Amino acid sequence: MDPKLIDARGKRCPLPIIETAREVAKMELGQTIELLSDDPATQNDLAAWARMTGNQSELVEVQRFKITKLT
Amino acid sequence: MVPITANFQRERPLHPEAAALLERIFERGWADPAKLHLESRRAAILLQEAKESLAGHLGLTPDELYFLGEPALGFHLGITGLLSPESTLIYSGIDRQEVMAVAASHEQAGGHSQKLRVGLLGEVEAFQSAPTDVLAWQLANGETGILRTQFPRGQYGQIFCDATSSGALVALPEGWKSALWEATAWGGPAGIGIFGLAENAIWRNPIPHLDGRRVPGGFSLPLALASSVALDHHMAEISTAAKKLQGINQEIRNFVATEIGECDIAGTLSNTNPEILSLSFLYIDAERLLTELDAAGFAVDSGSACSSMNLTPSHVLAEMGLLTGGNIRLRLNADIEPTAIAEFLKTLQVKVAALRS
Repeated sequence: MDPKLIDARGKRCPLPIIETAREVAKMELGQTIELLSDDPATQNDLAAWARMTGNQSELVEVQRFKITKLT
Repeated sequence: MVPITANFQRERPLHPEAAALLERIFERGWADPAKLHLESRRAAILLQEAKESLAGHLGLTPDELYFLGEPALGFHLGITGLLSPESTLIYSGIDRQEVMAVAASHEQAGGHSQKLRVGLLGEVEAFQSAPTDVLAWQLANGETGILRTQFPRGQYGQIFCDATSSGALVALPEGWKSALWEATAWGGPAGIGIFGLAENAIWRNPIPHLDGRRVPGGFSLPLALASSVALDHHMAEISTAAKKLQGINQEIRNFVATEIGECDIAGTLSNTNPEILSLSFLYIDAERLLTELDAAGFAVDSGSACSSMNLTPSHVLAEMGLLTGGNIRLRLNADIEPTAIAEFLKTLQVKVAALRS
């Protein structure tokens, strides 16, 4: 099954990070979701969020991110 | 309004002694030190004394020190003047935009540049330089307070030092060739730059010129004198102020980490200028936090995209991998009363909690 997709295009910081964190809070350990975001701050801030919260994020393609819940 | 911080330009409040001097000078008017009248000769003596005093504090000789009416011009003078077509300009990702502009200009002219990556604690990636290369070396970062007190060994390039934020806090590295200070770093006035050019520098004036002048002559004599007076007082007060600032800085770091949480704090107390504190809160819109704090009487700055006109996050925070959203910057002042700090922290806690809910 494809991971759930959050479409945050058109939304500015910190909304893409807030929406991601809300979704991750409902997930089981090891589950993944994807995020679409065209906010220029998202790539850096999603990586910072992952570092601060102990989760994992990666850039899959332009403006598309994969997030794995680890904590 | 409680002056927790100064403004977006990283400036400290003007030192009261410098402010008083400026008032006296502007009341009196001032003679041109280049002329031969008695007043002019007095002005020339005062200017020379100011140069000697500044040079002594900053670690160069008076003959190596020049005043600039436009401080940012010093980046062009200091870096471009050392570059040759064969030079690679080496700089870091947290340098000021003026350095990056010089790098872009050098590349447009056919030269090369190398941007060094910077890590989470402000550490610069390893690099190698040839004798013809030019190293732009920032002694302190104005946004995060990160200090660079050690220059890497084994480098052979020509060193330009950006001391605009460090002031007299970090000594020039051995072998420096050019340097730039802004008087605002030590409580001096805005609008005056101090440019250093080592006597042994192989430097060509990059600005069109007809005579042997090394810098454009236009600067304000009162601002130059006030910058010297401010530095004299700053140096006299620095050890007492540093202890107070470290205490305030540590108190804020501890409170934010334990009582607010989910905050990216730039650097550590030991590797940053204790006057500067950069805090990035998760799930916070910086513009709203700034507005809320302002309404409560606290003026702070931000490097977040949502608080700037061009919608671009701080290149410094992004380069270091720090959270760029929800960022506030504090410029701490040793004269802040402990009750004001406590009130600020309580307000910050309440506002962050409200915005996160």
